[in-house]
Amino acid sequence: MSETLTPTTRPKDENAWERNVPVYGFPVVNGFFLGLSFLVLIAFILTAYRELAGLGPVSGMNDAFGWGIWKTFNVMVLTALGSGAFAVGIAAWVFRRKRLHSLMRMALLTSFLAYACGLLLLGVDAGRPWNFYWIVFPWKWNMHSPLAEVAICMSIYAMIPLAIENIPPVLERLWYFDSRLRPGVEKMEKRLHSAFPYVIAAAYLLPGMHQSSLGALMLLAGERVHPLWQTPWLPLLYLGAATFMSFGCVAGTTMLCCLVWKRGMDMEVLDEAARITAWLIFGWLGLRFADIIFRGALLTAFHLDRFADVFWLETLLVSGGGWLLYRSLRTHEKQQMFLGYILSSLGGMIYRFSPTTLAFRPNPQALYFPATIEVLVSAGFICLGIVGFLLAVKRLAILPAPLHEWHSMAHYFRFRRPYIRWTGYFKFGYFGEDESETASSD
Amino acid sequence: MAITRRELITNIVKAGVPAAAAVTFGAPVLKAETIPTPSAAVGLLYDASICIGCKACVSACAEANDTPPDTRGDALHQAPTDLNDLTRNVIKLYKPADGSQFSFVKRQCMHCLDPACAAGCPFQALSKDPQSGIVSWTADKCIGCRYCTITCPYHIPRFQWVGFNPRVTKCELCSHRLEKGLKPGCTTVCPTGAVIYGPRPALLLEAKRRIEENPGRYFEDRIYGETDNGGTQALYLSKVPFEKLGLPELGPESVPARTLRWQRRFYQYFALPAVLYAGLVQVIRKSLDGHEREAHQREKETGLRAQL
Repeated sequence: MSETLTPTTRPKDENAWERNVPVYGFPVVNGFFLGLSFLVLIAFILTAYRELAGLGPVSGMNDAFGWGIWKTFNVMVLTALGSGAFAVGIAAWVFRRKRLHSLMRMALLTSFLAYACGLLLLGVDAGRPWNFYWIVFPWKWNMHSPLAEVAICMSIYAMIPLAIENIPPVLERLWYFDSRLRPGVEKMEKRLHSAFPYVIAAAYLLPGMHQSSLGALMLLAGERVHPLWQTPWLPLLYLGAATFMSFGCVAGTTMLCCLVWKRGMDMEVLDEAARITAWLIFGWLGLRFADIIFRGALLTAFHLDRFADVFWLETLLVSGGGWLLYRSLRTHEKQQMFLGYILSSLGGMIYRFSPTTLAFRPNPQALYFPATIEVLVSAGFICLGIVGFLLAVKRLAILPAPLHEWHSMAHYFRFRRPYIRWTGYFKFGYFGEDESETASSD
Repeated sequence: MAITRRELITNIVKAGVPAAAAVTFGAPVLKAETIPTPSAAVGLLYDASICIGCKACVSACAEANDTPPDTRGDALHQAPTDLNDLTRNVIKLYKPADGSQFSFVKRQCMHCLDPACAAGCPFQALSKDPQSGIVSWTADKCIGCRYCTITCPYHIPRFQWVGFNPRVTKCELCSHRLEKGLKPGCTTVCPTGAVIYGPRPALLLEAKRRIEENPGRYFEDRIYGETDNGGTQALYLSKVPFEKLGLPELGPESVPARTLRWQRRFYQYFALPAVLYAGLVQVIRKSLDGHEREAHQREKETGLRAQL
């Protein structure tokens, strides 16, 4: 490991996340990647079949359950997991939890992939997708429809503010790629930074709007949603679930990546994220139970039916996860923290899935179970997101890492790719690589 | 530095006061009564107590709308068990196991005065005609999201599940026949006059006359659709409780008016989101300044290019 820090700035923690460093030393294409790509390919082929045959032959959807897992899982649940750019971003930029900035790129990437894959599948799920062109005529929108709000707001969000927020790592790679690109890249970065306050503000306003409108969707379904879930507060509860689930997704994915690719974990950052997540969970549970009690729906939770089962499963998972996260702040056990994230996110996923599917009772006889093709397509579009993630973290500086990781990477590449001038990777970049500082052990 | 308490409170006040003002004064009060009733609302009156369940209206409906008869049940008879992509109008039977009063029921679109399907439809593919009040579907605007099948409290619109160009099927009160001065298909063939067509006020008068002439004959001496769900243009009279016929008790307020009140207020004139946006830009601009300054400081210390 190289020592480039002057003693005055040496961080106390060896693992303190200082920079975003690409995952290096692992090939992008491996067995896992090929397997995922194969599933994506299958999903694309089945999508073509769906476009010709219609929705009936490929899915378990029926007149009673008009929405299947493509909407209710891939969009409603997975975009909640992908609200990291919203939740972590608000904590970092609006409430100035500065440590969380090191998680921002992970949050932005996971959000972009979740939204992009969700929107693609939304296009597949729509029966008459060619009519989406109405989206460019605002006077044709039904401004008061929650679904219009979701469809329009989500696509604008993913295509404009979220995409722009994800540009800096790409520009950074271009900057390092070739010194001849640098003047242009720097000019673009300057422009980007001057627009950033407006872009970032839009990136918090829009998800706040559509993540709550996703809850408002089921308000119109009225009595057909079980009283444990149907409440005027559904939009706020949906938004709240999205915040703690996305914290879980961002921090949990980062921990998993650190484990897989052997990165140091900065427990200061992770503790901060866990603390915020735990309090978000407790606040959300408080609101959920206050709402259920004040509406007088609590007794239905003690009926012996599948709705009560789902409710208690979800409540136990969320509260158990929150408790584990809170405990991990004292015990400093990473396993506990990780499990806490997984459990609370699972509980949140069940909560977001329930009003449309598990607790949706259009009539007593109605049944919905996803068909094989439906599941394969759904899984394929999730794999598409994972493929994109693997590609991005290995090619762009997304994952946070300690400073020494950056120098190790620079050494690695100078050795492996001698034909590229790796300027700028080393201390005092450009052409003057500071050999005395960087070439040490290794 | 994390956001200070003073700054947080100042920001909340700065954003919140205009926002509260915008929501409170900018948005008109939305109530079921304020929803304009179509000037020439037409509708159907169905009297379940005189329906004999002959299903002549079902085949007449298919003929009037030029849809092939739905013989998918036994490949011979046009006997759909429920509304579907070929059936806009269906006769169903309610027959309790204890042998008490049975009843037929004719199901078709209720043409609500404040339709939930149109309230939810993202691009106004389902729309209510301002004159006749007929709720109809426009193929050119429908994206096939099937939200109408979720929102309709009567579960009327049906999606075509097979084929690359699916359509949404629902009763449109034979608006193409009304233009030619004809009556809706179902009302032309009913042998007992169980379903009749006319202007909504006239149908209400007729229904009230029947209730007055036959006291105790009808359930609660009430017309379903007079005020239910904010009022509907298809009116029902029945001997058995309406809920048994698939007409839920929804109260006098329409579903959209009841459930989307706050949604509508928050997005009225886009005032509240605009105020929030302005506040967010202010806070983030300040955060960004501090963040950039620190990043460039680190850049000088470590000699590595700042990552923003």
